[in-house]
Amino acid sequence: MSEWHPAIQADAVAEGTPCPLLIGDTPIALYRLGGEVYAIGDRCTHEPEVRLSDGFVDGDVIECPMHQSCFSIRTGKVIGPPAREDVHAYPIRIEDGTVYVEL
Amino acid sequence: MNTSTVSTAQLRRWPEQRDARIPAWIYSDPDLFKREMEVFYEGSTWNFVGLACEIAEPGAFKRSWIGTRPVLVVRDEDGTINVVENRCAHRGSMLCWKNNGVVKDFTCPYHHWSYDLKGNLLGLPFLRGAMGKGGMPRDFAKGEHGLRKLRVAERKGLVWATFDESAPDLEAYLGDEIAALIDRATGNGRLKLLGYNRQLLPCNWKLYVENSRDPYHATLLHSFFLTFGLLRADTAFKAVPTLGGRHAIMASTYSAATASEKNEVTQQLASLKSDFSLQDMDMVRPVDEFGDSSMINFSVLPSVFFQQHGNSLAIRHVIPKSESQTELSWTHYGFEDDDETMQNRRIKQANLMGPAGYVAVDDSEVLALMQPVAQSAPDSVQAVEMGGRDYAPQETMLTETLIRGFYHYYREKMGL
Repeated sequence: MSEWHPAIQADAVAEGTPCPLLIGDTPIALYRLGGEVYAIGDRCTHEPEVRLSDGFVDGDVIECPMHQSCFSIRTGKVIGPPAREDVHAYPIRIEDGTVYVEL
Repeated sequence: MNTSTVSTAQLRRWPEQRDARIPAWIYSDPDLFKREMEVFYEGSTWNFVGLACEIAEPGAFKRSWIGTRPVLVVRDEDGTINVVENRCAHRGSMLCWKNNGVVKDFTCPYHHWSYDLKGNLLGLPFLRGAMGKGGMPRDFAKGEHGLRKLRVAERKGLVWATFDESAPDLEAYLGDEIAALIDRATGNGRLKLLGYNRQLLPCNWKLYVENSRDPYHATLLHSFFLTFGLLRADTAFKAVPTLGGRHAIMASTYSAATASEKNEVTQQLASLKSDFSLQDMDMVRPVDEFGDSSMINFSVLPSVFFQQHGNSLAIRHVIPKSESQTELSWTHYGFEDDDETMQNRRIKQANLMGPAGYVAVDDSEVLALMQPVAQSAPDSVQAVEMGGRDYAPQETMLTETLIRGFYHYYREKMGL
């Protein structure tokens, strides 16, 4: 059963800077694009020991620092090799200035 | 005065009598060795690198060698076979350290640069630096930093590669006679890997090439051959150099009826020990699988020798390591449609060859002891006049015509 977890104050998630956190044992990174906040898995599917949030934000794409695999911040979909599998995209909602992530 | 090492090849001349003489300095000169690698292995030649059945599924690879240069033979996702140099484009370290396996991509252990199955650079750590520091220049182009890609040709289940973009097609390089013999040795092309032998020979690669083109020694040194009638100086035999000495064919006939017969030729040979027997005589009782009563062994310059001893089929890969070291790598094979009896017979008879082979162990010993003698007397000269001084085809084992052919070709290519 998925449930909503309070994660962080919404105004702590800044444009252009990934915001890594653990929810339980699950590594997730929050990103702000325009007014919206997005949450995707934070381990590269090509090299799972590497955190995507150590990588480079280019528009709505996060690029892995290790081999430049690219993922959509909005959907988690892989859009550049060497990774072949998507990272998970998590639903979020913001209530009273707090970001909640569903997993 | 500059006293640095000078190649002996520049100071020495090939003896008179040309192809019928071999100067010993060619076995120990490191500069000459480097040039041989460029001319024969990295030049306009095709090199055997593996069997297609060794890399059956997408991502399957095997490590191989072209002369001293390591390569990877890999099955692409679309089923084609790629051969790339096993050398990271970044710092030149060995990219893949395993002999075989299945991968999605190749990642160098040194700095984790990653390449796809075609050898294209996929990515590298910290391309954009970290914390705003370091990283590659903005105009760094991944497309210009892939692995060296080789030309590849696949024929009847065998994979060949060349560093030379302008080399003639594989078929032209092999020539009609050798191509036909490869077709004979590979049948329908549906090969089955039976196993490997590897050994490091402490000798120059050319000593092994000569040995594999020398039927004269086979009846004398190899008492096992003679004792059990697998190869006899009195049977019909052809020694055929092809394409100006580039390749070499040794075709003998085998007859179960005469295998243990004595006559005036075999009487002369002390190594014929007719009272010897084996616990398991299947080792020396081949079946005539090609229907021509022939055992045909042939040498394809620069790197391989096709072996048919009894029903043992193998490709012997000559991998020079230095002027005084050579790796020999046997790839033993059969066919997908062999029955169990035939497969077991091939595996059993494979014991004739290899590092501890009943026959091949003789060669290893001779060549290991020959190298230091050659090195100790670089000005000495060998005579190879058995069967004449030219390199015409001959119908006898008592000939060195194939060695003369090799050196004719060698001297032409090396300008010696």
